[in-house]
Amino acid sequence: MNRLSLFIAFLTLAALGCNSSSTTESNGGGGKASARGTIGVSLLTLQNPFFQVIADNITTEAAKHGYDVIVHSADEDVVKQDKHVQDFIVDEAVAIVLSPCKAKAIGPTIEAANNAGIPLFTVDIPCRLDNVEIVSQIASDNYGGGVQAAEGMIRALGEAGGKVAILHFAQAESCQLRVEGFQDGIKQHNESQVGGQIEIVSIQEGGGAKDRGLKATEDLLQSNPDIVGIFAINDPSVLGALAALEKANKSDQVVLIGFDGQPDAKQAIKEGKVFGDPVQFPDKMGVEVVKAIIAHLKGEEVPAENLIPTEFYDQAAASADPNLP
Amino acid sequence: MFSKLRQLALDYGTVVALLLMCVILSILTLKDQPQKDESAAERFGKRIARRYDKGDLVLIVVGDSAEDRAFEARLRETLQAAQLKVETVVGAPSDARNKLVDLQASEAPLKMIAANYRTVSWLLFSDLATDFPRLKEVKVEAPPAYRWPTFLKASNLLNVANQIAVIAIIAVGMTIVIITGGIDLSVGSLIALSSVVAAYYIREYGGGYEANVTQLCIGSFLGILVCALIGAFSGAMVIGMDIPPFIVTLAMMMVAKGMAFIVADNESIPEVADRFTWLGREASFGLPNAVLLMLGTYFVAHVTLSRTVLGRHIYAVGDNQQAAWLSGIRVRRVLMFTYIVCGMLAGVGGIVVASTHKSGDPNYGVMYELYVIAAVVVGGTSLSGGRGTILGTLVGALIIGVINNGMNLLKIDAFVQNVILGLVILGSVMLDKLKGGPIK
Repeated sequence: MNRLSLFIAFLTLAALGCNSSSTTESNGGGGKASARGTIGVSLLTLQNPFFQVIADNITTEAAKHGYDVIVHSADEDVVKQDKHVQDFIVDEAVAIVLSPCKAKAIGPTIEAANNAGIPLFTVDIPCRLDNVEIVSQIASDNYGGGVQAAEGMIRALGEAGGKVAILHFAQAESCQLRVEGFQDGIKQHNESQVGGQIEIVSIQEGGGAKDRGLKATEDLLQSNPDIVGIFAINDPSVLGALAALEKANKSDQVVLIGFDGQPDAKQAIKEGKVFGDPVQFPDKMGVEVVKAIIAHLKGEEVPAENLIPTEFYDQAAASADPNLP
Repeated sequence: MFSKLRQLALDYGTVVALLLMCVILSILTLKDQPQKDESAAERFGKRIARRYDKGDLVLIVVGDSAEDRAFEARLRETLQAAQLKVETVVGAPSDARNKLVDLQASEAPLKMIAANYRTVSWLLFSDLATDFPRLKEVKVEAPPAYRWPTFLKASNLLNVANQIAVIAIIAVGMTIVIITGGIDLSVGSLIALSSVVAAYYIREYGGGYEANVTQLCIGSFLGILVCALIGAFSGAMVIGMDIPPFIVTLAMMMVAKGMAFIVADNESIPEVADRFTWLGREASFGLPNAVLLMLGTYFVAHVTLSRTVLGRHIYAVGDNQQAAWLSGIRVRRVLMFTYIVCGMLAGVGGIVVASTHKSGDPNYGVMYELYVIAAVVVGGTSLSGGRGTILGTLVGALIIGVINNGMNLLKIDAFVQNVILGLVILGSVMLDKLKGGPIK
């Protein structure tokens, strides 16, 4: 009998738990908010602070216009993301925002939203499928960022020029664009200048992660000991490269350029270990996607693609940055 | 009296918990629901017709979906029958804006805009007075809403059933394996393997995007066959080598995952015909095909386990292998059967996932083994073997599905969801312990 009452107490507690959390939720959304409707958001993963910033900015910007926002983390699982979208459809969301987990397998999910008549937007990761309707795709200008990275490299190497390498993450479309921009930037420089020629001697797979970036750089230093610069397509891989250079005592001979502007990379830029980063603006992306939703609902024409320019962040910018210690 | 009640609560504890959860969710998700079917359109049309004179102009604005078009067609018929003049916009807010620009320019006296639940909330209409001064008298209306729990909407209940279909199907195989005292950790990887084997066959030999139904079926069959073979291999290792099932299937989990990546060459395989989505996306007799498949699987498994000799043997082997052997049951054959069925059903689950997403992918099925085991355990099957029912597993899968769906509808934070799900699993095992006598 004792144990039965324990069990009943457990269930009651669980019920109360559900109850109280849901009421705080709706209070937090604001009284008039739910009148306008809900925007459903399913992002790649909320474990990456980058997407958390996007989510927070979507929520605050949407609240200004009187909309509620549900944010889900798909944890890079397209099956999970599909479930999120099905729940949004049942809940009659006014708009859906995705950063698709899979370039192709997300197709049927977007079709389902299209069939339900809910306008769909992407943020950070565009979707290139033909047979789906996406109102607007908001992403960083990755190609432009690659060009900025090349300009940074040219500035850092100056008159001397030399051999440089790229740490790639070939499976991501955004990284392909970054590398393309970098290559074009370097090519243009070489054609317009006589001195200070820069040669891209190697494109290594850096996995977009610290450990693989480190290994790739170690291999690189074996095959090209005379290398003077490395462009890594994101911050984890540039920090991996930095670790490899420090291990080989070469950190003062090689110019490093990363991408993203994550806090630990910014710190390394401030300390002069990394030359600079084209930084992305997840906060702007979040705001822009809400602006696109509002414009769409007002009946205005919304551009199919909205590229947010990156900005080059170097040591000067880092020393002026109030967020760094 | 009280002890009887107690016994009842313990015997049907999980069902009671499920019902309780449904009641709580229904109360919490009670909100205004839009009327959007054709009969609502007709009632709406008649109400409008009573209010305006013959020849008055009404603009219907709906979105571009099948449901909206049906709504528009019926509403237009009703209004035209009442001899009102009707114009229509089907599409995005920008189409409606263009139409309003035209109407503002023309002399036509627009009386009202008849919208549906979705289009009435377009911001275009909230700024009507400022953007279109000549139309500021125009009313924008949609059919009135009614109160009903979102959770209990037919579309949501089907949604829950559809979402648990894969886990529930695999949980059948897992239940019989666990009843015999074993476990199969490889099912998540088998989902991935089955999906890529099927998609690979269809791409390489079945004509890819042009594949016909036969080829799609052969591909699916091959995917399931490979998984059944892996199940058979696990079974052979457990029986022949006497290695603990946990270790064997842990190894097979890695092997199958690796094989899936090798077959797919670390990419997804989307080159399959559009009609491949029949199983995962379409419905027959008003129920999604995946749900029908799930119900069929449960029917067969329930009858097999509760009404056949084989079923009785499975319980006997799980309860006391030695005694089962002494009483003449072919223990090895029974064990082999359970692992093959488990592998096969994991393969079926993989085909459903591949069909839902119209592609095979080696990354499918991550963590699924844990969800499946959770469903089985919540359903009252004992991990020490010998006890458990198929219907209990169905209830367990439903509980997990309902919790997930309910928390999504209630907008509960993703990380909190994990905590709650974990506590529910723990709570249900506590319940299981209560049933089995004093906690030691």
